[in-house]
Amino acid sequence: MLRGVVWTASALLVIATLQRYAVRRPPYFAAPRTVFQHVDVRQHPLHGVLVLLPQVEPLIPRGSDVTVFHPKNGETQNDHDTYLTAVGLLPHHNVLPPFTAGPDVPPEQLIEWVVAVGEPFTHPRYAPVAGFPNGWLYRVRR
Amino acid sequence: MTWALAALGLVLFGAFATRLDLDWAARIAIAFTCGIVIGGSLMYVESLIGIAWSPWTVGLPAILCAVSAGWRLSPAATGRRNPPEESVAVALLFLLTLYGAATARITTGDLLYFWGPKAQHFFNARGIDVEFLRFPHYYLMHSDYPPLLPLLSVWSSIWTGSFSYWGAVLLGPLLLLAAVAAFRGYSQSGLFAVLLAAVLTFGFAAGRVAGGADPLLLLFEIVALSALTFRRSRADDLVAAIALAGAAFTKVEGAAFVAVVIAATIITRRSARPLLLAIPAAILLGSWIVFSKQHGLLDSYGRAGTPLHLDRLGFVAWVTGHQISYGAFYLPWVASLAPLAFARNWRRAALPLIVGAASIACAIYFYLHEPDPAWWIKASAERVLLTSLASFVVASAAASE
Repeated sequence: MLRGVVWTASALLVIATLQRYAVRRPPYFAAPRTVFQHVDVRQHPLHGVLVLLPQVEPLIPRGSDVTVFHPKNGETQNDHDTYLTAVGLLPHHNVLPPFTAGPDVPPEQLIEWVVAVGEPFTHPRYAPVAGFPNGWLYRVRR
Repeated sequence: MTWALAALGLVLFGAFATRLDLDWAARIAIAFTCGIVIGGSLMYVESLIGIAWSPWTVGLPAILCAVSAGWRLSPAATGRRNPPEESVAVALLFLLTLYGAATARITTGDLLYFWGPKAQHFFNARGIDVEFLRFPHYYLMHSDYPPLLPLLSVWSSIWTGSFSYWGAVLLGPLLLLAAVAAFRGYSQSGLFAVLLAAVLTFGFAAGRVAGGADPLLLLFEIVALSALTFRRSRADDLVAAIALAGAAFTKVEGAAFVAVVIAATIITRRSARPLLLAIPAAILLGSWIVFSKQHGLLDSYGRAGTPLHLDRLGFVAWVTGHQISYGAFYLPWVASLAPLAFARNWRRAALPLIVGAASIACAIYFYLHEPDPAWWIKASAERVLLTSLASFVVASAAASE
């Protein structure tokens, strides 16, 4: 009887696990592009960040100051998830929070590099350097 | 995968555990568990005294540990053979978790937000990077979180040449396998090893824990609790003490687990001697808190004075109770507790039962420190309460003697 209970419970847990895996979207047997590709029922915003940063990383000189965020209406926003993620993915750069490219920052204090994920960044002091399917790299105009 | 497999080299530090009287898989798993703690502690001390991590400074001590402890890979004298279908089931559950990790279905956000960045920067600095930790704009990375997981990551990075996010994710299933193997060795129950593997496989999927500290914490908790519950010799106390130190040095919740286990062990053994089990944990965590205070890193451990919002108890209990249904009608709780209906040895099950129940109380106690903890509970309860689920599986195995 005990064996039956344990095996039944284990089988039900396997079914529940498979259900969790299934709702996290196909494809089910293809190598994912990032470690965050299938963590949710919808595409997680950080998936785009993980795709984009390795592409822009070679274009930014090592040791440079850079910020990374998802712009909102073309402007900076408090996007902790994105810039903290960038700290790990750009370990040879100085990653700072998005406010360093904010509209109220004096031009001489604006951060040099901006990586905008998902939508363009429209700050007039920044010029696009490169574009990718998941975002853009900008450099400040001094 | 190479990065995750490189972590297995830490088994050298725990070579003494290969002399335990358990099946070979359990001995390797426990050697790995103890090796993480001993190797991580060595790296921590080296960093404190200014020795840069390199293959020589971490590899040589590992080899010396293995040589001085001596290896025993021969079969154990005791232990019963488990039916092969139980081993096959555990292997399939491991593969199911590996599938979830390899297809990026169970990755935790904490890997990206702070565990990964810490590991990356510690590796680049070849030591605990204090300047990085205390950089004001990185305060959300919890500067004083215990460092054992990043140290484990750096160990693998030293041997592979770089930090690997995929490696960190794939380490999760390996830690699950080690926890189940150690538990099976102590409990000598392949049947309950299947149940533990099933609970953890589901828990990893529901809580999305791969790449974070929870799989490592669960490994330490399961090893410590199994060693104490199925204790046969003093060596098991040593293993438990090391595993408890690992828990305290992995997550803030680990310290609460140590306190709960020690209190429960004192109650069940009716002796104060179990206090000795907490000594390695107290030394490691105490030194880390002192280090954090000296370098201005105190964050989580500096909030002792945070007020308790007891008026929110009903709300916290309700939200937590809803969240830990796991969207599966409380299936993992039913699965881990149902075998107790056939219990024969309640006395032996007392320790893990107390620990499982107290872990729930601890989680609620932590949540009560936040005035509006709904978001926190939703983000963490499914992960944090895996401790209680695992404890109840250990209790069920102990009671089914």
